[in-house]
Amino acid sequence: MLALLRDLRTLRRGIGLPSGRPGSLALRHVDCGSCNGCEHELTLVSGPTVDLARYGLGIVASPRHADVLLVTGPVTTRMRAALLTAYEAMPEPRRVAALGDCAVGIGILGSPSEIVGPVEAVLPVDLRIHGCPPTPEEIAAALLSLLDRRPDA
Amino acid sequence: MSGVLPGGSAYRATIEAALAEGWRFAGLHATAAEGAPAVRALLASPDGSLRLEPVDASSGVVPTIVDLAPAAGWDEREAHDLYGVRFDGHEPLRPLVDHGAGLARFTTHVRGADTYQVAVGPIHAGVIESGHFRFHVVGDLILHVDARLFHKHRGLERAAEGLTLPDGLAVVARSCAGCSVTNAVAYAQACEDALGLDPTPEVARARTILLELERVWNTLNDIGAVCAGVGLAAGTNRFAELVDRTRALNARLTGHRFLFDSVKVGGSGLELDGDAVADARGALARIRAESSRAWRELLFNGSLMDRMPDIGVVDAAAVATLGVVGPAARAAGVPEDVRATSPGLAYDGFQPAFLRRPAGDVQARLEQRALELLPCLDILDGLLQRPVRPAATAAGGPRTAIGASRVESPRGATTCVVERDGDRVDRIRLRTGSYANWPAVAHAAATNLLPDFPLINKSFELCYACADR
Repeated sequence: MLALLRDLRTLRRGIGLPSGRPGSLALRHVDCGSCNGCEHELTLVSGPTVDLARYGLGIVASPRHADVLLVTGPVTTRMRAALLTAYEAMPEPRRVAALGDCAVGIGILGSPSEIVGPVEAVLPVDLRIHGCPPTPEEIAAALLSLLDRRPDA
Repeated sequence: MSGVLPGGSAYRATIEAALAEGWRFAGLHATAAEGAPAVRALLASPDGSLRLEPVDASSGVVPTIVDLAPAAGWDEREAHDLYGVRFDGHEPLRPLVDHGAGLARFTTHVRGADTYQVAVGPIHAGVIESGHFRFHVVGDLILHVDARLFHKHRGLERAAEGLTLPDGLAVVARSCAGCSVTNAVAYAQACEDALGLDPTPEVARARTILLELERVWNTLNDIGAVCAGVGLAAGTNRFAELVDRTRALNARLTGHRFLFDSVKVGGSGLELDGDAVADARGALARIRAESSRAWRELLFNGSLMDRMPDIGVVDAAAVATLGVVGPAARAAGVPEDVRATSPGLAYDGFQPAFLRRPAGDVQARLEQRALELLPCLDILDGLLQRPVRPAATAAGGPRTAIGASRVESPRGATTCVVERDGDRVDRIRLRTGSYANWPAVAHAAATNLLPDFPLINKSFELCYACADR
């Protein structure tokens, strides 16, 4: 895969995200009823072009290791309990990020009987990432802004 | 009204005769239309024609057809859970969409020495959609998998009821980012079927461009997903970068990386001038060259190649029984591709490609995708030789109350049935390629090892979003 390494040098040059910021954040994603668009773009945030790991941010497998709960989709009635379980498992201090317009509460589609509402109807939301879906660069920039917040802020 | 619908025995006889003539099951749904509750089975012939066979459901009970067409299993369970229809002879009629029923009613009973269950989800360890899997295992050996999906059920079909036909499109198109164009085209064609409208060659060309652009990024994504399934980060990242570039091209052409809102009912709004089509051809040529190079590197990667043969087999017989569609069916040597019989789209002369070794295993499903990428890019190159202008459909056949269509998604045949009341949606049924193939994932996993399940699952790379709706 030497071709990949060579191409990455030019790819990363064009991204223009801030660098040199100290800190780290462990992210846990929970899909609460998205169209999978936010997941597709979030996957690319860990991909070679944006590569959020180089800023100290990474996806972790368990909410017990997570600083930030990244929630996508309008929360369906069937995902409400799982979302709360994941949140309760997180150590403090913890943050909740609503990823994408559905999670933020914009233009939600579906039957009222099947949907609880935006993430803020279930959990306190610290960060709202707009977009349908937001691009990998927009997701990365929004998450990096969390590094500037003090844990108690 | 209910008197005009066939009764149970006539319905079963019709389905049985049609299947014997070569028609295949393509979907089944219930409607609660006032005064005439019905169940309708959708059948497809090898030449691409569709027919709906209704049965009177006013008594709340209709005969099952799951013994004639096992592919109807999920459809009947869904119709029971959402519309309360009982299917006589479908035993046990386990819940599918209904999460109110306890796990005991949902789970298959597996008995024997040392058998136990491994429960996974609905939240998974990676960036993955939500769904619950219950593995029945002995040690590492999988005996059976119960996939309990529909955690993402948003009631989208119900939400569309009462909307105007053009407004219903948004609900269908947003049901799934991965198949947004396919679902939107299937819906638009079903509406046009009911409204007596025919796509003109220009509408067909625009829609085919969008469908194949969607197929390009999905195919690249699905190849990368198999790399992720074995932990081959170099392959995952190489294809992720190609996916990113394809979505960037989508955004330049239509204003959206997933091509959202690029399909219309009754025409096409896609507008690509000479510079745009030239940009697209150039970008796709570079994606072709680099994906071919990346694919060759995968072929020589022993740690990937050694993991795949004979894993997660779905052979031609299972394809026929389970009603498997798309690349998963073709990887078993079954000529199942709606593009070969799509007069409303610009696939003139299309023939699906086959592997020399259509073994129906993980390796074949991966190789099938790589094999299909190049014809897909060829189609796009041919269609993008001249600018694309907005166009309208033309008056065609008679107007009917119900329209149906079938479109080849990146995961196989997606069917859409639209029942209308004037210019409003009475009922939508969207049955995507993912919905058709989920039972095959469970079939493929049985007799394999638990650690191979992620790889088997990735080799199908099905959506939860459009299956759950």
